[in-house]
Amino acid sequence: MTEFLLAVGAFVLATVALGLIRVLRGPADADRMMAPQLLGTGGIAALLLLGAATGMPGAIDVALTLTLLAAFASVAFVKGASEPAEPEPDEGGGG
Amino acid sequence: MTFALAFDCGLAVLILAMAIWTIAARTTFPAVVGFVAYGLLLTLVWMRLAAPDVALTEAAIGGGLTGVLLLGATSRLRATEPPAVSERPSVPFRLAVAGLCTLLSAAIAAVVLLLPDPAPTLAPEAAAKLSLTGVGNAVTAVLLAYRALDTLLESAVLLLALVGVWSLAPDRFWGGAPRSLALRHRDGSLSLLGQVLPPIGIVLGVYIVWVGADAPGGKFQGATIIGAMWVLTMMAGLQTPPEISQAWVRVILVAGAAFFLAVGIAGFWLAGAFLAYPTGFAKSLIVAIEVALTLSVAATLGLLVAGPPARPVRT
Repeated sequence: MTEFLLAVGAFVLATVALGLIRVLRGPADADRMMAPQLLGTGGIAALLLLGAATGMPGAIDVALTLTLLAAFASVAFVKGASEPAEPEPDEGGGG
Repeated sequence: MTFALAFDCGLAVLILAMAIWTIAARTTFPAVVGFVAYGLLLTLVWMRLAAPDVALTEAAIGGGLTGVLLLGATSRLRATEPPAVSERPSVPFRLAVAGLCTLLSAAIAAVVLLLPDPAPTLAPEAAAKLSLTGVGNAVTAVLLAYRALDTLLESAVLLLALVGVWSLAPDRFWGGAPRSLALRHRDGSLSLLGQVLPPIGIVLGVYIVWVGADAPGGKFQGATIIGAMWVLTMMAGLQTPPEISQAWVRVILVAGAAFFLAVGIAGFWLAGAFLAYPTGFAKSLIVAIEVALTLSVAATLGLLVAGPPARPVRT
């Protein structure tokens, strides 16, 4: 069973790795930022399989944290990608 | 264990590829995206190395706040990017950089490979004395009992980092609020996420802090999650960053380190040494310190992301 779970984990990781090509190739920022999102989902799956295979404590907690923060990171990505030039503070920048 | 080996090899190849990409990318946004993906892979690596506490920290910091900080830096640097990309450093300069980096990597690799096998460890002793502290997680025992002084200094370092960021503010904005984190294009789905996610995140953060006494987890990981939720409500435009001169902001920021220090000084009378816990009270004091630090660390991380003050004080 352990072997099977690890094999499935490796398979999930391999499929997500293909998605990472989008980080390298783009072309748009939106394409780039979707790849880590996919990696987040696949990584959580691989992590849970790994936790079940090895019985390591805390795997589910780490997966929960990743799940929660993946949604948060997507907001950060959107902010980073969609707002190219932030205006300087109200009364002109520098000091 | 062939599948385990395949899993590890695949992970190693992926992480090396992302690391090389992060360095090789010519512009900042793709590099930051690569770095976030690298952090996710690193979480898996730490789990494979049976270090769930480190994996949890990497998941919380790498998945949450580092990305926001770096993306914030990216949007500020965007104006300077075209000249930086078109600049080609001279060949001797590039060779020197490559040579020095190779030297450093080789030195680190040599040190790791030359470690005695088995590596020297204090783990058995740390585990043997665990019952004296009352906590069940050896990592928490190290952080808050055996090496409490280090953790106290770390909580002070975090405050110093925030003071460092604040000190970048022009004089006329000192004491004011950081610039708004809200997206300029308000959108309903983001407001919804900003209302739905924080309650779940706060419960998870409190749980991670609480469970840290006996299982992987702890104040820093939990505080990062709570801080990220605060940043999310600010990005959704539901909250604005507070003015940094307000008394309640400063009290929350220093409360954790101050309480830790007070417990440490009380140790002189109660247990005979600085940062020593009286017998029988170790676990309750450790949990109390973690709770106090959680609030301070969450507020500090949120304000670190918000950046230096950029508005004059409202009068």
